[in-house]
Amino acid sequence: MQEAISLKQISKIYERKIALSSLSFTVNKGELVALIGPSGAGKTTLLNLLAAILPPSQGEILIDGHPLSELMDHKKRAKKIGIIRQQYDLVGELPVIHNVLAGRLSEWGLIKSLLSMLIPQDKEYASQALRRVGLTDKLYEKTSSLSGGEQQRVALARLLVQSPEIVLADEPVASLDPARAEDVLDLLVKIALEEKQTLIASLHSVEYARKYFDRLIALKDGEIFFDLPASSVTDDQIKSLYRLKEIS
Amino acid sequence: MDKRWLSFELHKRKILTLILSLAFIMSLFSVEWNSELIHSKGLETAKQIATAFFTPDLSGDILILAMESSWTTLSYAAAGMSLAIIIAFFYGILASGIVVSEGNIKRYIRPFFRGQLGFMRAIHELVWAWLFVASIGLSPYAAIFALAIPYGGILGRIFADMLEDISPEPIKALEAAGASKLQALWYGYLPLVRANITSYAMYRFECAVRSSAIMSFVGIGGLGYQIQLSLDDLHYDEVWTFVYFLIALVIVIDLWSNQLRKRLVQ
Repeated sequence: MQEAISLKQISKIYERKIALSSLSFTVNKGELVALIGPSGAGKTTLLNLLAAILPPSQGEILIDGHPLSELMDHKKRAKKIGIIRQQYDLVGELPVIHNVLAGRLSEWGLIKSLLSMLIPQDKEYASQALRRVGLTDKLYEKTSSLSGGEQQRVALARLLVQSPEIVLADEPVASLDPARAEDVLDLLVKIALEEKQTLIASLHSVEYARKYFDRLIALKDGEIFFDLPASSVTDDQIKSLYRLKEIS
Repeated sequence: MDKRWLSFELHKRKILTLILSLAFIMSLFSVEWNSELIHSKGLETAKQIATAFFTPDLSGDILILAMESSWTTLSYAAAGMSLAIIIAFFYGILASGIVVSEGNIKRYIRPFFRGQLGFMRAIHELVWAWLFVASIGLSPYAAIFALAIPYGGILGRIFADMLEDISPEPIKALEAAGASKLQALWYGYLPLVRANITSYAMYRFECAVRSSAIMSFVGIGGLGYQIQLSLDDLHYDEVWTFVYFLIALVIVIDLWSNQLRKRLVQ
C-alpha cells in the first residue's frame, strides 16, 4: 500500500513545555485513523503540524514521499490536505453558499472570488456538496442561523468542494450532542471512503473512535501510548491511557 | 498577619483611588463660594432661556429656515462621512496589517498607517475647519474636508482594531482551504466585522451631524450658524427651534441605525 503520510522523529516544543516528543509513524492512503488520548496529550498539536499550521521543532513530515516543508504554496497544499475543526471554522455572517464555495478559493483568482460574492460562481459544486451532506434547502441561509450539527455539515460540504487527498479533523464533533455527533462522524467517514481520502481525526470519545475508524493511535504526554487496529484495542489499554497520574 | 496581604501590588489601585478622591476634595476648597461664582445677570438670562425652552418660535419663516439649515448640516455630515468611510476602509485594512504576511514588511506597514490615522484624528475637526477656511475660504468643501479627515482617522483606527480582534479560527480555516490574504479579507474579515463597523459608523454619523452643526459656528452655513445668529439677537425661542431640529436629526439617524443593526444581526 502507498504511504500518504510519514512522520519521522517529530518533536514540538513550546517555550518550556514539550508537546510532542519524537513521534514516528506512517499512515497509508485511504486509512481511517483516530487520534485518542487525554486532554493535553498533543492531539491538536499533531494535527496542526500535519496541516502545516505549525512548524515542527525537530523531525520531518513526508506527504506522498515529499517533505511537507516544501509544500509552501498554500493553494497547492489545500489540494493535498484539508482540515475541519469544531464549528467555529465558518464565517457565520455569510450565507451557506459562500462558506461552501470557500473550498474553491484555491482554484479561483481574486477577481473571480469577488465576483462570486455577487453572483455565486461554480454554483453546481456547492449545491452538489450540500446535497451529499443533506442540506440542499439551506443554500442561501445565513450560516449562523443554522444549528451546530448543520454548521458542521456545511464545513463538510466545504471540504467536499475543496476535495483534498488527506482530511484532518480536530475534534469534529466535540460540541455536538451524541445523536448529531454520530450523524456527522458517519458522514465524515462515508465521504472519506467514497472519495478515497485518508482521514485522521482526533476524538474525545473512544467509543466513536472504535466504531468508525480502522486504526487508533493513542497519545499520552506527547508520546505514542499505543498504535493498534481498532478491533484489537482492549478496555484495559483504554483505562490506563486515561488514568490520572498517582499523586505521590 | 499574612505578609502577602501587605504587598503593594495587591493594593495599588485602592491607594490610587484614595489619592484621587483626596485631590478632588481639596480642589473644592479653592473654589470661592460667593456671589462672584455666577455673574449677577446670569440667573435672569438662564430663566429666559429656560422659558424659551417651552415656547420655541414656530412661525413659518423660522421653520423653513430651520429646515433649510438642517438640510445643509445633514448634507455636510453625509458628504464628510462618505469620504471618511472611504479613508477608513483603505487605511483601516492597511493599518491592521492583515493583508501582509508576518515579517518585516508588516512591522513597518502597521505603524506607518496607524501613525497617519493618528495624525488625522489628533487634530480636532474645528481646527481642521479653521485651516481649510483659511486656505480655501468659506466653501462647503472646507466643512466636508474638515469632517472627513478626523472622522476617517477615528473610523479607520476602530476598523483596524476590529479587524485585528476577530476570532482567528474562521480565518485559519479559510487559509487552510487555500485562500490568499485578499480572498481571506473578502470571505472572512469583512463579513465578520460588517455588523460592528456598520453600527459604529452610524454612531459616528450621529456625531458628524453634531460636529457639522458646530462647524457652522466657523461661518459655514447650517444649524449652528442660525443658532449663533439668534443667540446674538437674544432670540432664545428661535435658538430652541433650531436645537429641536438638531435633536430630531440625531433621533432620526438613531432610529435608522437601529433598523439597520437589526437587519444585520438577525
